[in-house]
Amino acid sequence: MPGVVRSTRRRREILSGYAFLLPSLIGISVFLAVPIVTVVWLSFQKWDLIGPAEFIGLDNFRAVLTDGRFLHSLIVTTLFVAAALPLQTVLGLGLGMFLERRVPGSAVFRVVLLLPWVAAPLALGIVWKWIFAPTDGLLNAIVGQRIEWLATPSLVLPAIVVVSVWTNIGYVSLFFAAGLRAIPSDVVDASRIDGAGRWHRFRYISLPLLRPTMFFVLVTGLISSFQVFDTAYALAPNGGPERAGDVVTGRIYYEAFQSFQFGRAAVMALVLFVILVVFTLLQQRYFRSRTTYEVA
Amino acid sequence: MVATLEKTGVGADQEIRPRRRTLVLDVITYTVLVVSSLLVLGPFLLSTMTSLKSSKQFAAEPATSFPSPLTADSYVGLIQGNYGFGRSILVTAVVSLVIVVGQTVFSVFAAYAFARLEFPGRDFLFWAYLSTLMVPGVVTMIPLYLLLSESGLRNTFWALVLPFVFGSPYAIFLLRQHFLSLPTDLISAARLDGAGHLRILWHVVVPLSKPVVSTLAVITAVTHWNSFLWPLIITSGDRWQVITVATANLQTQFNGNWTLVMAATTIAIVPLLALFVAFHKTIVSSLTIKGFN
Repeated sequence: MPGVVRSTRRRREILSGYAFLLPSLIGISVFLAVPIVTVVWLSFQKWDLIGPAEFIGLDNFRAVLTDGRFLHSLIVTTLFVAAALPLQTVLGLGLGMFLERRVPGSAVFRVVLLLPWVAAPLALGIVWKWIFAPTDGLLNAIVGQRIEWLATPSLVLPAIVVVSVWTNIGYVSLFFAAGLRAIPSDVVDASRIDGAGRWHRFRYISLPLLRPTMFFVLVTGLISSFQVFDTAYALAPNGGPERAGDVVTGRIYYEAFQSFQFGRAAVMALVLFVILVVFTLLQQRYFRSRTTYEVA
Repeated sequence: MVATLEKTGVGADQEIRPRRRTLVLDVITYTVLVVSSLLVLGPFLLSTMTSLKSSKQFAAEPATSFPSPLTADSYVGLIQGNYGFGRSILVTAVVSLVIVVGQTVFSVFAAYAFARLEFPGRDFLFWAYLSTLMVPGVVTMIPLYLLLSESGLRNTFWALVLPFVFGSPYAIFLLRQHFLSLPTDLISAARLDGAGHLRILWHVVVPLSKPVVSTLAVITAVTHWNSFLWPLIITSGDRWQVITVATANLQTQFNGNWTLVMAATTIAIVPLLALFVAFHKTIVSSLTIKGFN
């Protein structure tokens, strides 16, 4: 008898398992798995949505990899990441060290510093577009000069970097503050007794122990900044002057929805994906090859 | 007292130095925190100030001037005018709400199945869910657009909602990790009392997971209220235009009419800041402690 009870129970558990999973399984298959397969198929097709799709082999890959505008957008995006990521990490770490001290009122600062992270990047981009506006903008009112910030090719990308760093710094600093908190105080005290100065304590104690936080901040920062779009769309529509702010995601968007070259846009998206995977693996290897310190 | 101690020689000096050092450090800390907070708040405050100016004052006075007279003309014009902005607010609110409810409920279901139930194929499916996390949104965006427009759903409410309402792998993963950490005794006790899985989920697991579930719900609300690229692609015209798309179009169309445009950005930003401030305690601690990384 108990065996029968157990087996009905078991059957019921299996059934509930599938029932609980069903909605997400439908959603994830149709709206994530199918598109992932389709994007690969699409990269071998010529399709403008009007006529039927036509198999063209590697033509899209050839076209994209020799497309000057696409390669330019890769360079622009790389420059953006190379500037924004170190800036927001270093400034976030610095700010995190002050947040970690938990002076009275630091909870309020924490909330304030996170505000840009909650606000719509597109809306913030447009607020900054006003700040950078030549005649009635805020920045020129402060510096007392008429500078065409967003119409000058050499200033467009720095502007996007500033806005992006300004948006992310509070979020990054929060993680560093939490990471620093997690370092056991006896480790720090011991080094202090050994006579280590402030810089030595930071360089040889805090920084190595922050490795997991650093890895998280760098990987997520890299993945999201390589896909920057909203800020660039607001500050440098259509790539901005001389395409100086033409980031990859924007390039993909224009290729698909202005030129209706869906096959080529699919190839560009795949190239971006491969770049992200490679960078993530490289970072993982770097962080794994260094000694890790276990923090209890 | 400090003065007298300072004069009394070597021993006293050693005693005083650390205290003075923390004082100096405190002053530096506050300076850094106050200055960076002002830099963060500045754009928010000044853009809101601009939205509360008359266009006459905006044209005549510097950008840093305080609004006088204080006027809500831009907001009234934005909602009542022919910009379709009032409808955009409604569309964005309904879309975000439907996604938050659907995604939270279905993700909780899936996470419970992965964490607490045993059935054939479970581990493979979990691995498959996880692997979709690696794929960035830009990659699936184009096929998703083709799929929905070929199904005749382009520029509909469903196009905005369907891809996200059935749960997200990210939420499922985080919730599963949390459900695994709950004490098994409680759940076994409920099983022995004859409770079904739905009852256990609702009466035991969810109440024990309130901070994680509410943080996820707020993050989902933020993500979809702020969403721009997907609505930009899949909708056109006024009918299903969300706030971000409406704001971008308004800025292109009325470039230079900054009092109006700043009213739009303020409406896009402020509801979420309010939501975040209301939930900040749970969110700030969950973000860094509960394994959101």
